[in-house]
Amino acid sequence: MTALDHSAETARRPREARRPARPGGAGRRAERRRAAVGFSMALPPVLVISLFVGLPVVLAVAFSLGVTGGLNRTAAVIGQDVHSTDGLLTTAAYEQLFADPRFPRDLAATVLVTVVTTLVVLGLAIGIAVLLRLRGGWAATLLSGLAVVPLFIPVVIASWAILTFYSADGFLRSLFAQVGLQAPVLGFTVTGVIIASVWVNLPFALLMAASGMQAIPDALIDAARDAGAGTLRIVTRVLVPLAGIPLVIAGTFTAIGVLGQFTVPYFTGPNAPQQLGVDISKYFQSFNQPQQAAAIAVVVFVIASGVAATYVWANFRSAKQEGRV
Amino acid sequence: MARTSTTPPATAAEPGTTPGLRLAGLTKVLGGRTIVDDLTLDIAPGEMVSLLGPSGCGKTTTLRLIAGFLHPDAGRVEVDGADITDLGPERRPSAMVFQNYALWPHMTISKNVAFPLKVAKVPRAEIARRVAEVLELVGLSHHAGSRPAHISGGEQQRAALARALVQRPKLLLLDEPLSNLDAKLRVRVREEIRDIQQRLGITTVLVTHDQEEALSVSDRVAVMNEGRIEQVSTPAELYRAPATSFVAGFIGSSNTLAALDLGEGEPGVTWVVRPEDVRIDPSGMPGVVRRVLPHGHYAEVSITVRDTDLRAFVTGAAPEPGEEVGVRIVRALRYRDGRLEDAHVEVPA
Repeated sequence: MTALDHSAETARRPREARRPARPGGAGRRAERRRAAVGFSMALPPVLVISLFVGLPVVLAVAFSLGVTGGLNRTAAVIGQDVHSTDGLLTTAAYEQLFADPRFPRDLAATVLVTVVTTLVVLGLAIGIAVLLRLRGGWAATLLSGLAVVPLFIPVVIASWAILTFYSADGFLRSLFAQVGLQAPVLGFTVTGVIIASVWVNLPFALLMAASGMQAIPDALIDAARDAGAGTLRIVTRVLVPLAGIPLVIAGTFTAIGVLGQFTVPYFTGPNAPQQLGVDISKYFQSFNQPQQAAAIAVVVFVIASGVAATYVWANFRSAKQEGRV
Repeated sequence: MARTSTTPPATAAEPGTTPGLRLAGLTKVLGGRTIVDDLTLDIAPGEMVSLLGPSGCGKTTTLRLIAGFLHPDAGRVEVDGADITDLGPERRPSAMVFQNYALWPHMTISKNVAFPLKVAKVPRAEIARRVAEVLELVGLSHHAGSRPAHISGGEQQRAALARALVQRPKLLLLDEPLSNLDAKLRVRVREEIRDIQQRLGITTVLVTHDQEEALSVSDRVAVMNEGRIEQVSTPAELYRAPATSFVAGFIGSSNTLAALDLGEGEPGVTWVVRPEDVRIDPSGMPGVVRRVLPHGHYAEVSITVRDTDLRAFVTGAAPEPGEEVGVRIVRALRYRDGRLEDAHVEVPA
């Protein structure tokens, strides 16, 4: 920029921007005014979130711990087996839940489906992303294209399709029967829920894994090959660690999604064990036990918080490695 | 008039000895374009040769063919007499230092350096010893536990060099390793690289587009143009007697003229005059100083002589722009159809 350009630029700037900061009270007042304007601009979304998400969460947690007055009063009056606290809080609703053999069994099934689905989804996403990154070609492109198809199919449709494919009178068994073989019945089983959950969750995980790995510079892979590393070592020591954050995002989002999912287990799962998402609905609607439903939701929330902590930790670790913190 | 041989030496190795690296008729076509065209070059064991040329001349592709990241469409790559053309990069006895260093950001410097040894299943105690040795060699012992993001560009460059050297390669490949450093650091690091290379006696190929870098650290320089080697010579020979007008124009500063008396020339003949061979002399051809660019201990002076601009390097007191001066050419190179015909045409006063 020439000196002339520079002075033209300066002339165009608003007068306030050129004025030096005024010392004393006037400067402080201007600073406070700017802070107030910024705060007021951030206030509407904060209020909406607080009112429609924060408050119900606090009320639900309090309700599950026996606070049945105030805004929880209506639910407490209508619901069955509501435990009210004599003192500050009570864990009676949780004790009732854990005393019932159905809940620990459903909790175990939910954790099992979550863990297995997350591992399988991450495994498939990493596998396809590695294939795309290292090999490319039409097969990898086709595979990645097919893997994102479920993203465009509503979960309820997908669940129903999977059920009709794997059920006792479904397509798979009919096909096997044509050649005199018996295929296993996977409809209304935990395995069926896992298959459907993988189907639903794979696209997002694949998009994250593929974008993470595509962002790794060729030189970092070439350097590993030059150092003597084979494909497996390049994947485990270079690609996966360097795509760590996208993979952690994919893993945590998948885990939290599966943990609280409703549609897939409701359509494809067995009557028992059920996933906690379905249990919450059943306890709330069918059993008319809103306090127990809230307690289950709190349990799901605590597990999800643990998964979310992994996400925060991984981000912090990555920022530390890159010298950002 | 003295004559100089223009035939580039194909090898610096003694006749009958096995070259450290032999490239025999290497050809690579990418996207329908011949990037490397029947390239042949022998490099003696322990020799450092630079591949120098403009962008797109095929020097990096040649290096990637040597490293094994690309497979040639024709030709062979031999290291110490063994044909390695069909081996992948992980099985070649070479180690490469990449342009952007390519240090793995999630590993510490010592883990980066130890990686090739871990892959080679070297015992843990030996890995620790060799990593410590090589970090000492490049002066990075105090950064063993640091991550790449926490050290400077020059230190990252040395860490990348350490990672290559720890493998004890037969062949060291340097892909523009200094291009991301500032000018001062570049000079220091290239001297360090040269010093380490000579101490360890590793056959080395350096790819660069910086002629000063190539001329200052190499035993020989191969100037490339459009996938072919135009000339392979020692830096001094390359500057003194460029084999083609392309090399003459690429190496150093030069004035290209149709005729020495600045009139009509002989068809097919061009003259190249180095600026240091243009003298300001009152008895020479009359000219007018157009521009003076001071470069510290000398000045680059542009002088118009009979509608032709000549550049001269002048030490001491430089003339002022607009001043009328006399110009004398003391030495010139004569090219016929782009090939050097006479490297030392002495022009009488």
